[in-house]
Amino acid sequence: MQEATFLILTALAAGSQHGYGIITDVEQISKRRVRLRAGTLYTALERLRTDRLIEVDREEIVDSRLRRYYRLTPTGAERLAEEADRLRSNAHVAMSRLETSGGVATT
Amino acid sequence: MSDATQVERRYRRLLAFYPKAFRREHEQEMLSVLIAGAAEGQRRPSLDEAIDLLRSAIFMRLWQMFEKLFVRPYEVRHRRLLWGFRIVWGFVLLGVAMVALSYGSWWAVWFLAGAASDFVFGYRIYQIAQRQPPT
Repeated sequence: MQEATFLILTALAAGSQHGYGIITDVEQISKRRVRLRAGTLYTALERLRTDRLIEVDREEIVDSRLRRYYRLTPTGAERLAEEADRLRSNAHVAMSRLETSGGVATT
Repeated sequence: MSDATQVERRYRRLLAFYPKAFRREHEQEMLSVLIAGAAEGQRRPSLDEAIDLLRSAIFMRLWQMFEKLFVRPYEVRHRRLLWGFRIVWGFVLLGVAMVALSYGSWWAVWFLAGAASDFVFGYRIYQIAQRQPPT
């Protein structure tokens, strides 16, 4: 799973959000490292929707502009949990190995 | 013309590169995202933004084109039944390619390409079958 995809799913994990909401949330989650652009976001959303990891929640008109809210499907939540688990276990191994070697090459 | 309407007009022009069906469904929504992201008084999309939109539009057009080329309308109509045939046929072509390879024939490539396209589009028809209830 690409990082952008992971972050989008994470943004939707707490509840449904619209396009711009996802962009600002992803920026916050990634501590300002990842700022999605509209084209990238919608290519990803389209793919996630085809794979049925997300779905349209509802639509709203704010200031005469359309906002479409997306939410995770149960499959999406499952996939995100699996991925998060995988990343945690990898990170855990990395950290513990760095600790035992003191962060420097021993050979 | 005010800055706001000018930047909107320019965004619209970029969105025009997307396939029609995609635009019908997402143009308004993408426009609100783009406008929300535009700075106060911004009159034109940034170069990065324009490149990103074009890249995504081209990607979607290519994908749509391939799909039209490789997925037959009757397969979409009978998707529940037919996606499996695509996969099976993919394996048949793969088998032929393996035999051809063992003889060192260069035309094995064609069978490999055929098998690959059957796998990809068989999976795609499967996805369509999952997403839409049969009509």
